[in-house]
Amino acid sequence: MDFGIDSVADKILSRIANVSGDYAEVRLSAGAGTTITLSGSEIDLFTSGDSVAGSVRILSRGTWTFVSFNNIEDTESFLKKGLSIASKIPAGTSTIRKTKAVAAQYATRCAVPLDKVGLDEKFELTKKYNGILGSHRNIQTTRSTYRDSQSRYIFLNTEGSDLRYDRSYCGISLASVARDGAVIQPFHESVSGYGGFEIVRGREAVAEKVVKTSADLLKAEPAPAGTHRVIVDPKLAGVFIHEAFGHLSEADFVYENPQMRDLMVLGKKFGPEDLNVYDDGTMNALAGFIPFDDEGIIPARTALIKSGVLSGRLHSRETSEKMNEEPTGNGRALNVMRQPLVRMTNTFIDRGPHDPEALFDSIGDGIYAVDVIGGQTNLEMFTFTSGYGYEIKNGKKGRMLKDIVLSGNVFHTMDSIGMIASDVQMFGGLGGCGKGGQSPLPVSFGGPHLLINNVLIGGKQ
Amino acid sequence: MIEKICRDLAKQCRWFDIIHTSGSSIPIQFKNNRLHSVQEKENSGFGVRVNIKNRTGFSYTNSSGRLPQAAGRAVSMAPYGDEEIFDLPEQCSADFEPYGNTIDEFNIDREISNAESVIDLILSRFPQAVVDVGITKSSGSMRLINSQGLDASYRHSLYSAGISLTHVTEKGSKIDVWEGTSSTHCVDYVSLAERIIERTTLALAERGCASGKIPVLFTPKAVARLMGIVASGFNAKAVWKGISPFADKRDTKIFNEKMNIHDDPSVPGSPYSYPFDDEGVIAVRKPLIENGVICNFITDLKHAHKLNIKPLGNGSRGYASLPFPSFSNIEIDAGTEPVKAMLESINQGILIDQFIGLGQSNTLTGDISANLDLAFLIEKGEITGRVKDCMISDNLFSLLNGDIVLSEEREQVGSALVPYMLLTGVSYTGIFQ
Repeated sequence: MDFGIDSVADKILSRIANVSGDYAEVRLSAGAGTTITLSGSEIDLFTSGDSVAGSVRILSRGTWTFVSFNNIEDTESFLKKGLSIASKIPAGTSTIRKTKAVAAQYATRCAVPLDKVGLDEKFELTKKYNGILGSHRNIQTTRSTYRDSQSRYIFLNTEGSDLRYDRSYCGISLASVARDGAVIQPFHESVSGYGGFEIVRGREAVAEKVVKTSADLLKAEPAPAGTHRVIVDPKLAGVFIHEAFGHLSEADFVYENPQMRDLMVLGKKFGPEDLNVYDDGTMNALAGFIPFDDEGIIPARTALIKSGVLSGRLHSRETSEKMNEEPTGNGRALNVMRQPLVRMTNTFIDRGPHDPEALFDSIGDGIYAVDVIGGQTNLEMFTFTSGYGYEIKNGKKGRMLKDIVLSGNVFHTMDSIGMIASDVQMFGGLGGCGKGGQSPLPVSFGGPHLLINNVLIGGKQ
Repeated sequence: MIEKICRDLAKQCRWFDIIHTSGSSIPIQFKNNRLHSVQEKENSGFGVRVNIKNRTGFSYTNSSGRLPQAAGRAVSMAPYGDEEIFDLPEQCSADFEPYGNTIDEFNIDREISNAESVIDLILSRFPQAVVDVGITKSSGSMRLINSQGLDASYRHSLYSAGISLTHVTEKGSKIDVWEGTSSTHCVDYVSLAERIIERTTLALAERGCASGKIPVLFTPKAVARLMGIVASGFNAKAVWKGISPFADKRDTKIFNEKMNIHDDPSVPGSPYSYPFDDEGVIAVRKPLIENGVICNFITDLKHAHKLNIKPLGNGSRGYASLPFPSFSNIEIDAGTEPVKAMLESINQGILIDQFIGLGQSNTLTGDISANLDLAFLIEKGEITGRVKDCMISDNLFSLLNGDIVLSEEREQVGSALVPYMLLTGVSYTGIFQ
């Protein structure tokens, strides 16, 4: 699966060493993938296609030039074109952290390689899950998506780095939509990761949970509006830390903004003593795994919050240099046709001291919010929607609730985390993170159960 | 080569079509008040759709050299495909092109200097602010060939400009304001900067508003977001699957009679216009809501056949996907009230411009719940400051069937032409009262 990109890369290797200017990199990829989408009794999509692409990024006199293309045979002329644009545009103030050359080859470990599995088998598995998703009388429709991709990715730069990666990714997304009269209730789950077909096999229990939850939600009542004490499950805790805090720790939001720098100064107290938050691109089973980032930096585990204190942030080469902090390997692009931005990888709240039961014992009355539909932040305020939940009376789980939309102010809410449990779980899926028009970038997130005081829940009054 | 592939496919298929898209673009990005990058992008690809024994197969590639392999894959996928017994159109022509001839006058140096003056204008008012500006010029073409003899193409162009400002107030609150515009040709966008300055100035003072059912005035930008939720119910695919709230409501009045919405692919100068859709169906203007009554669903060929409705040119696709129903330009009819009079009619209420997280609720049923990113308190007909750390939660469909006032002024927001809208009782919750 290289469609000739290695021979293109080998030719460029000698050319790029002689490029003048501050810095340049060439990225090339070739890949093929299969997508199957079944919906109710219909086949919405069953396709397999291929694509090749390349890009050249140049930093010259403080301004970036980026050229992307899919006619990779002409990579050398696109490099020339990039250099020509770079020589004409105005000078700027971008600078980057230089690193030592790295040469390495990587390949995803697959128990069952995707190209050894027939289209028949991929189709039948999707069909089996889709059948489970429709197995309740109240199900109006279903949607089962299987997606895989195998690609070869090559990264070269003027520092002499030569990184090549055979990547294999696959996953499923399973949704049921239940309906009873005017009440329509969707629910979905997704599983994905780097590996082979083993990732999606044997996931019947996921499909069973989806169909049961969407049917049960028909009878659930809307959450009561107002300010509540809330216990969030590990998945919601993960989305919370990704959305509400993770984006705030991306250095491109602060590195040239003195006002934001003041808000995010390292050493600032950002939550309770028990709170520890990490981003870690080296966790190789998860959707946010990267052997190297799209600027050729090898990632590391970055502590973002240590004992409730802001202790680090995520960097690209540019933000690292400008803030004089070590690069973290978080310069990521959706594909080779896009420029790297500061992005998260696998972001999570580390385990706390409490047994999950202890959170319920101490909450009194409140809401248990489970699972997540989506979330958004403007770096100060956030909204996210829980999949479903339960009323808690006197520490006991009661009636099922739906439409739990949590809103709040990041700074107040982090400070309002009361208790942190010890049961960390990580989550990924075929969806991903969006930023700067690049979506969905594979990431994972997670955490343990959390008890948060003073969460605003929206709803009709 | 494409002709040979067509001849081969004709022997094997009940029908087929091949879409070829190609284009290039030049995005210029200013970040943090300065030029950050200049990009040049080229991208093209082919999608092959075949129908054999009434089943549809599909594949794609972005290299013309591998088009025969893509066609072969499409044929081999067909037995797995959905049963599709509709037929493809036999002819269509490009009566116009969504292409501005002056797009070729796009000049990188001039764009850089224009963006710098826009940033200077904003910084002269808010020296501490951080401004991003993005300008993109793109142009390209699409060609569609099918087994029924259709072979048509058109050129398209796009110029878009967007500005966003971040300003942290002395109190530590963060104000984000963004505005954007797009056209088939280069346009002046300094008015966006003026609007951003105006909204930021109004947001400097923070006010509180008591929770409850209150009058809410939505800017066209906010109305466009709300209408996106309504629009998803007009998608013929959602109608066919029975998950559109409007599935059984055709010819039924479910909104206030002031609501009139059209889908119009023929708006001159709009980059969202096109002469025929991506399946070769001539695209025409159609009402979606007329006097509050549901009139038409937007559809591709597949769902037109399933629902027994007429396709009117809303099949959309890139080279790497099968067609799906999609909107062109959306026009919401204006009302009769000037915005100023609408504002003055509010004794205590809010004006909403930007949401955070709208559309994450169970929007299939019209439920909305969102934090307010940028909203203002209205007291005795005047804007007196910003409200923040608050949200609205309500059912949009019930609200649109209640009392609404639409302004006589309209603004272009992306692909939509939209008035201001006043809803008299929206459920609002403030967090710190």
